[in-house]
Amino acid sequence: MIDELERGVKTLETTSVTITVNGTPWKGEIPVEDVLLDVLRSRVGLTGTKRGCESEVCGACTVLVDGAPISSCSYLAFEADGKAVTTVEGLADGDVLDPLQDAFIRNVAAQCGYCTPGQLMAAKALLEDNPSPTYDEIAHWLTGNICRCGCYPAIATSILEVAAEKRA
Amino acid sequence: MLSPFRVLHPTTIEEASSELARLGDQAVIYAGGAELVLLIRNGLIQPDYLVNIKRIPGLDGISSNNGEVRIGTAVTHRRLETDPVIHARLPALAEAESHVGNIRVRSQGTLGGNLCFADPHADPGTALLVYDASVEIGGANGGRQLPLAEFLVGTYETALQPGELLTEVRVPPLADGWRAAFLRIERFYRPTANVAAALSVREGKVDAVRLAVGCVGPKAMRLTELEGQLHGASLQEADRMLRDSKPYLTEKLEPVSDLLGSAGYKITITSVLLARALEQAAQGNGGAH
Ligand SMILES: Cc1cc2nc3c(=O)[nH]c(=O)nc-3n(C[C@H](O)[C@H](O)[C@H](O)COP(=O)(O)OP(=O)(O)OC[C@H]3O[C@@H](n4cnc5c(N)ncnc54)[C@H](O)[C@@H]3O)c2cc1C
Ligand code: FES
Ligand code: FES
Repeated sequence: MIDELERGVKTLETTSVTITVNGTPWKGEIPVEDVLLDVLRSRVGLTGTKRGCESEVCGACTVLVDGAPISSCSYLAFEADGKAVTTVEGLADGDVLDPLQDAFIRNVAAQCGYCTPGQLMAAKALLEDNPSPTYDEIAHWLTGNICRCGCYPAIATSILEVAAEKRA
Repeated sequence: MLSPFRVLHPTTIEEASSELARLGDQAVIYAGGAELVLLIRNGLIQPDYLVNIKRIPGLDGISSNNGEVRIGTAVTHRRLETDPVIHARLPALAEAESHVGNIRVRSQGTLGGNLCFADPHADPGTALLVYDASVEIGGANGGRQLPLAEFLVGTYETALQPGELLTEVRVPPLADGWRAAFLRIERFYRPTANVAAALSVREGKVDAVRLAVGCVGPKAMRLTELEGQLHGASLQEADRMLRDSKPYLTEKLEPVSDLLGSAGYKITITSVLLARALEQAAQGNGGAH
């Protein structure tokens, strides 16, 4: 719960929402000014989605809302009412990793790993939109997902490999 | 944490307008929020009310009638980037939209939010100017229409009056034989400079041309004087005239040095981009009208 001490100012309006998070409905009463990132991390309890720049620039907070990648740091959570949100926790099926997660591990597409949840979600959205992306299309799609460890080539390779696996 | 506010959800343009008029400075229009949430987070504004316009029916459509394309204010960048009507009829706009920010900004942000925020470092307006777009504005006293060139007044400034909202962008068809192109250059996620050109060529000469530049000065602008001078020039002459247009561009565009580039750099790069955009439009690389 994001308490008022941390918030510093009193909420003026709350609203009740039902958000399907990784396939499971989550119901709650939330302040209308809460962004999705905070609701996911502090209320739903899923901390895989990371806080970075809070300016829609870095992509660490990328999640999918009804399949579309958005910056959860700057997306008002009430907008997700009635919608399906997918976070990095929703990629694996139990112990079976998503092919993208397998490929990231195989190619060492992470060093510190801070950007990885966002990279994976952006990559997931890309392959939904374009199952056979070229290297240039991958680079264009991922321009908004910054990796300070410089794992870009391994990330692109991972996406190309998963696309090829799916074609085979 | 964002400073707290209330959210209103009007379902008609009139209702939105009367709420805006009633609440005055306390309220701001909220579309995608891609810009607004950052403004609130950074303490630049502290509104008591957000007036959410996304639940007003009819503001999120794209339609084409007798060649005129109508785009609702709440249509997202992503939709414009991928929509078949936009690709077929306004390819330079589709191209401009594909460069906006990143995939998340394009999924969340709307065309109307982009035009109304009037950040000079923006792309769609530059493309829309060479299509001679106009905007439809809703208010308490009904609607009014303005050419986009008059709607864009300056940095963060539009012709919107209190209580008014942008409802639609209207784009007349380019005549047969016209071609358009859009080019941009960037160092960060926002453009350093962008240009658009629309061109009709007759017997190897410029029959008519429209040119627009964004990001260099306080707002995106048409280069009407230069357009006039290019009339009747061969494509080769036109190329040279554009590359030599730096004095005119400096005078016309009031270039601003900022983090994205110095004024001198922006002018030089703009003259080159203009020449390249003309060439692309002439070759039809920017797509058919
Ligand atoms: C990281 C980042 C990168 C970006 N890069 C680019 C770029 O490369 N090129 C580019 O062109 N843009 C860029 N943008 C800007 C982006 O396009 C805009 O932020 C977005 O389109 C705003 O739309 P919105 O619907 O989210 O507007 P909101 O944030 O909801 O609103 C923006 C402003 O417009 C007003 N407003 C919105 N709709 C209306 C309306 N119908 N009538 C009257 N007023 C209205 C609001 O009151 C507010 O003042 C970038 C933004 C970010 C955050
Ligand atoms: S934290 Fe949201 S984009 Fe950086
Ligand atoms: S792995 Fe460290 S920022 Fe990408």
